[in-house]
Amino acid sequence: MTSASFGVQAERPADLDLLRRLRDPALLLLPALAFLAFIYLLPLIDLIRISVSGPSWTSYFERVFAIPLYWDSLVRTMQISVTVAVLCLLFGYPTALLIHRSRGITQALIATAIVLPYFIAILIRTYAWMVLLGRNGPVNKLLVSIGILSEPAQLLFNRGTVLLGMTAVLLPLMVLTIYSSVARLDQSLTRAALASGAGPIAAFWRVMLPLTLPGMGAGFLLVFVAAIGFFITPTLLGEPGDQMFAMHITQQADSVTSEGFLQALGVVLLTITLAVVAVAGRFLGFEFIWGGRKLTEATPRTTDRHAADVGRRSLGASAADVIGWPLLRLFGRLPASFGTWTVRLMGGLVIAILILPIIVVMIISFSSASYLTFPPPGFSLRWYEQFFSDSNWMRAFWTSLVVAAMSAGIAIVLGASAALGIVRSSIRGKSTIMLLLVSPIIVPPVVLGLSLYSLFLRFDMVGSVFGLAAAHAIGGLPLVVVILCASLQGVDARLEQAAAVHGASSLTVFRLVTLPAIMPGLAAATFFAFLHSFDELVLTLFLSSAELKTLPLMLWGDVNYRLNPVLAVVSTLEVLLVVAGLVLARPVLATSRKAT
Amino acid sequence: MGEPAALRAMRSGDANARTSPTGRLRERDAIGSSIAVRDAVKRYGSFHAVDRISIDIEPGEFITLLGPSGSGKTTLLNLVAGFQSLDSGEILVDGKPVHNVPTHKRGFGMVFQSYALFPNMTVSQNVAFPLRMAGVDRATAERRVAETLEIMRLTEHATKSPSQMSGGQQQRVAIARAIVRRPKVVLMDEPLSALDRRLREQIQIEIRDLHRTIGSTILFVTHDQGEALTMSDRIAVLNAGKIVQIGRPVDIYRHPSDRFVASFVGESNLIEAEILQKRGSTLTMKSRAGYVFNAESRDTIDVGRATVLVRPERIAVSNEPTANSAPVSVTSSIFLGEILRIEAQMEGGEPLLIRCTDMADRPLPNVGDRLHVSWGAADCWVLA
Repeated sequence: MTSASFGVQAERPADLDLLRRLRDPALLLLPALAFLAFIYLLPLIDLIRISVSGPSWTSYFERVFAIPLYWDSLVRTMQISVTVAVLCLLFGYPTALLIHRSRGITQALIATAIVLPYFIAILIRTYAWMVLLGRNGPVNKLLVSIGILSEPAQLLFNRGTVLLGMTAVLLPLMVLTIYSSVARLDQSLTRAALASGAGPIAAFWRVMLPLTLPGMGAGFLLVFVAAIGFFITPTLLGEPGDQMFAMHITQQADSVTSEGFLQALGVVLLTITLAVVAVAGRFLGFEFIWGGRKLTEATPRTTDRHAADVGRRSLGASAADVIGWPLLRLFGRLPASFGTWTVRLMGGLVIAILILPIIVVMIISFSSASYLTFPPPGFSLRWYEQFFSDSNWMRAFWTSLVVAAMSAGIAIVLGASAALGIVRSSIRGKSTIMLLLVSPIIVPPVVLGLSLYSLFLRFDMVGSVFGLAAAHAIGGLPLVVVILCASLQGVDARLEQAAAVHGASSLTVFRLVTLPAIMPGLAAATFFAFLHSFDELVLTLFLSSAELKTLPLMLWGDVNYRLNPVLAVVSTLEVLLVVAGLVLARPVLATSRKAT
Repeated sequence: MGEPAALRAMRSGDANARTSPTGRLRERDAIGSSIAVRDAVKRYGSFHAVDRISIDIEPGEFITLLGPSGSGKTTLLNLVAGFQSLDSGEILVDGKPVHNVPTHKRGFGMVFQSYALFPNMTVSQNVAFPLRMAGVDRATAERRVAETLEIMRLTEHATKSPSQMSGGQQQRVAIARAIVRRPKVVLMDEPLSALDRRLREQIQIEIRDLHRTIGSTILFVTHDQGEALTMSDRIAVLNAGKIVQIGRPVDIYRHPSDRFVASFVGESNLIEAEILQKRGSTLTMKSRAGYVFNAESRDTIDVGRATVLVRPERIAVSNEPTANSAPVSVTSSIFLGEILRIEAQMEGGEPLLIRCTDMADRPLPNVGDRLHVSWGAADCWVLA
């Protein structure tokens, strides 16, 4: 008796322990981590391995830095990226303020004007600029008609258009990042400054600006990092001699002889990107990448950091005192409406830059002319007919749909499970895991494509639909994880406790309380993951075959060779898709914005 | 909540009345501004947030805008502060119109519900902010900040960041920032509602004392009637965008102008009664339950029916019938410490709320017990 009961007692805790371990939500992280390890980390590690596999480990890198072509291109890439980030900041901040200050329907319209382009493929937005600035485009027509130009000029293919195009493409990212930091501010802070006798400009300088500095920093770095890896826009809008670094990688990828050297190029780009992110993360916290709040994790470091903040703050404040006060007195003499008008004008310019190209392209898609010209001589549906009757376009369209649906499926299953694991488990190193899950946003797509290419070759997956969908899911996963983490954190834990207290099992709690609460987030995440894959071009360039052509790939081919209105049709359809998605996701966006 | 604070407020209100509030007001004339709001209107679409409000605030007066949420009190404060602009009407400070003066040039101090301390500045930088904005030189500013911090007992916190402080401390910093310039007008937008009760009562007293020291005109917004009674020289009760009644706390409490004020300020028994006869300013009335009593009234009312306010603490309770008492049966009895809160039913149906002080010789009544209640003519107030 005694020994038997002893045995039972000895066994039961072990059983329970195992059960408890199997129930640990941390296990939910495993599928996503395994997926990323195989299709993301492994290829990147392989990329690095090949890059150091020369006669000596540095030999490929020596070659990269020894050839002036690449060195110059690297310097040029840095220059362009910094310029673009500065321009985005300069114009993005007033636009964010404009959204924040407007109310009701105006606010909704301005916000839509920023958000809509954010979700439209870079390729299509770049194409719109080619149309806008082309020889027969509206800008040339306008300049000729008002007599500035005597005949249409070549406005495209120079450094200026690259800067304009990249700035336009990246502006929404900047505006949304800054807006989230502006909107988080307590409105009564500005009122308190005004009531304390600070004019609108002084209130902005002393209160608004210092408090949104982290948001500005985050926006600047996100834009900068994205710009470093840019490939589509500079290829289409730049002059042939003005190449950015990522463009060299795609060109070299075509020749087999450059194995090793090619990977070294990729590693250089990757290293620069990660170094920038690492330095930025040290100062801003890595949360800036996904624009979230700090995950609840009790680390003693936060208090240290806080103390350091105070020190740095007073240093910054005294610097602001020395430079700021004389400047403020100077600005104080400007009329009070000066700031308001600056914001309105710059914000208005940004909205025009974001929306006009899209509108022009939509109008041109109904053109009756056989070539690109604006305004169109007449209207017809001939290009729509041509698109829907061309079997190549239709096949590409269906391929894209299938790939995007599969990719969204993969991303949502892995991402939802990972988000549950992140939010609900209490494992250590959550921030690190989150960083890993979200990091594909940061890695330049060209580098990712290059690394995946070797993996796909090895497993004979090049040109496979599933392979392409899985590759697209690498970028879709972070979107799903970020959105669902925010949704899950927004679920009131007391509701779940209430359900449990009244007798619901944990699975029932999930089904009846948690799932309905995150449903909107789930829908939005699915849509964004779908859209990500549907728009994806760079990875596809590396991983598709002649038989497997997606819509962006067809577009890419046509944009490079013949610029015709069929592209405008595809663009218009994409815009409609995004609009429909945003309309469907609107309630979700509102709630998830509240949650973050 | 409410009643003990309200009682205390009444007592101190009485004290103030006796020591001549006008004398105190005259002392303050040196500093505070008068504020006059004339026919102020603020609409949101078809909703009148502020509906033709007029109010005259004496220099150095502590005036409270009291009302439920949505009554327009915060909108009125925002109009005075200049955060919102009038649709029509005008606002005069010391006789000069200010409604076209931008907020930062009005020279007011303001305390916010959310404290609104600048998180990027230390406590002393926050307090120095209005002085720097006014162009006060550094040495003077430092001296004034130090003085103000001392008044608010914050000296040892000067170099802290606001986020390192408790709610009560943060609100004291916000008050320091509002008064550091010695403004002629200080606006306070529900400054205490985020604090717990004990702290709230403590800071109420601090703000009262501070008002006496600095003499600024204070315009205070709250939805808490106890707070309004405790702190104000005068209270303006708002409902649906209009001022329903304005007066000293004791007048508002004892002589409310209508049912809304009577039930919003303090606890009340509102008894429907028939007027039997009128002799001078004294009415003889009969409640629906048949209880006949005398009531003092304004001379406008003479015949018909009227609503009579009897405050719960004015009802005398005894175990045996007394002269002109009515029997009631107890439906609930709660011991609150210094006070007993009894709910009872008059025979014939009218519910009564009674508050009486706890006394050694009075046993706690039980539910179902019979008691005898009565009140005198001076304990009633006949509502219009």
